[in-house]
Amino acid sequence: MTVRQDDRLLDGPLLPVRCRRCDAEVLVRKASWEQTSIQWNAAARAACTGLSGDPHATCPALRSAIQEAALTGAIAVME
Amino acid sequence: MTATEPDAVRAIEAEAVSSRFARGWHCLGLAEKYRDGKPHTVNAFGQKLVVFTGADGETNVLDGYCRHMGGDLSQGTVKGNEIACPFHDWRWGGDGRCKKIPYSRRVPLRARTAAWPTMVQDGLLFVWNDPEGNKPPDEVTIPVIEGATRDDWTDWRWTETTVHTNAREVIDNVVDMAHFFYIHKSFPTYFKNVFEGHVATQIMRGRSRDDAREQRDGGGGGGPRMLGNSSVASYHGPSFMIDELTYHYEGYDLRSVLINCHYPIDQDSFSLHSGIIVQHSDALPPEAAEATARKLSDFILTGFEQDIEIWRNKTRIDNPLLCEEDGPVYQLRRWYRQFFVDVADVAPEMTDRFEFEIDTTRPVESWQREVEENLARREAQGASA
Ligand code: FES
Ligand SMILES: [Fe+2]
Repeated sequence: MTVRQDDRLLDGPLLPVRCRRCDAEVLVRKASWEQTSIQWNAAARAACTGLSGDPHATCPALRSAIQEAALTGAIAVME
Repeated sequence: MTATEPDAVRAIEAEAVSSRFARGWHCLGLAEKYRDGKPHTVNAFGQKLVVFTGADGETNVLDGYCRHMGGDLSQGTVKGNEIACPFHDWRWGGDGRCKKIPYSRRVPLRARTAAWPTMVQDGLLFVWNDPEGNKPPDEVTIPVIEGATRDDWTDWRWTETTVHTNAREVIDNVVDMAHFFYIHKSFPTYFKNVFEGHVATQIMRGRSRDDAREQRDGGGGGGPRMLGNSSVASYHGPSFMIDELTYHYEGYDLRSVLINCHYPIDQDSFSLHSGIIVQHSDALPPEAAEATARKLSDFILTGFEQDIEIWRNKTRIDNPLLCEEDGPVYQLRRWYRQFFVDVADVAPEMTDRFEFEIDTTRPVESWQREVEENLARREAQGASA
C-alpha cells in the first residue's frame, strides 16, 4: 500500500508550535482562522497536561499558543 | 515526483484492494440471535464461519469447514457443547479441537481447526480477527455502553445490510462532513476529528433543516420541533463505531447511542449493521422511547441506503482531491492502515494523536442559502398549485 500525502500540505505545510505551559512541540497548520490541524508525537503527548478532561478537546494552553503563533505570523494563516 | 501542473488533468488512482482483513474486534450482531441452539453460517474475512452456542452457554466461532472431509459445519447440529458435522458426525469444540468421533475409537492427532476468540458485551457478539493469529491484547477493548444494560434505556433495535463494496468507503464517512448535507439532509455546523491510538473520533453538531419536512415537524405527527443534534462518534478499532447522539428538541434533549459497525465478508463486500438505544425521560416515557428508537432506526437505515446508493455507483479513489473545507481523509486512512499491518509494523504516525477542526463558516453560509432557496421554491410551488 503506497502511503499518500494530503495534497493540501503542498499549499501550506505543518509548522512547529511550542506550548508555553508544558513545552510540548506539535506541528500545526491553519487554512483559516477557524481551521486547525494539529499533529502530535509521543513526546508532546506525554508532556501535555491539558488533555485529562475531555479527550476530544484541544488543550487550552496549546490552543492559545497556536492562536498567538498565528497572530505573530510564526505560522501562516492561509486565507 | 512529478511537478503539479495547474492545468494537467487530475488522474484518479486506485491500487488493488489488499487481500488482508483488519485486525480487531468485529461485531456479528445481537448475541441473542446466536443462542437458539442452532449453528449459524457467517461469511466473514473471506471465509465461511460457523457460529454456535453450546449447552454451556458459550458462543463459539470456528472455521465453517470440517477438517475430516470438508463438510459444512454450519449445516450441522449442536450436540452438547460441540458442533457435530452433518457429513460424518465428528464433534468439534469451541476451542477448535475435535472432541469425539462417535464411530471411531480415538480422535486423530492434528484434529484441530481454526477458532476465533469471541466476546459478549452489552448484548452483542464480537469476534477477534488477527491475520497473525495472536490473542486480543488487554488494551484493545470495546468500551462498555452504559445504556445498553440499563432499565431506563430501550433495548437494541438492530439492522443488518449487505453492501457490495470495500469497507473503506464506510470508514471514510468519519471525516466527510459535506456528504452529511448533500446525502443525508443534515446540516453540520461544527465538525472536528481526533485520531489517537486505535480510536478515531468525529465530533459533529448540527441544526435541523427546515427544508426536510420530517425534521421540521420533529419526526412527523406534530410532535415537538427538533432544533438540532450533537454527536460524538468513535471507531474503537477498524469496524465498531459508538455514536453518543443527542437530539435537541424544543424543551428537552433526547439521548441515544447509535452503533454503526460492520464486518468484511470479502474484499468487495461487507455486512453493515446499525443499532440504536434511546434513553427514557420525563419527556419520553418508555413507550414513547420505544417508538422513537423505532423511528430513529428507520431513519438510520434510510441513511445507510443513501450511502449505499452512492457507493454502488462511485469509484474507489486513493488520491481524493480535497478542498480546505473537507476533513482529513488522508490522515484517517493513515490511522486505518494500522489494522492492516503486522503489530510490529504499526508506525507512530498511524497512532499518534491528530486533531483536525474544519472551518464551517463558508459551508454554513452556503447551506443556509440552499435551504432558503429550497423553501422559497416549495412555497412558490405551493402557491401556484
Ligand atoms: S466431513 Fe465432517 S465429519 Fe466427515
Ligand atoms: Fe454517510
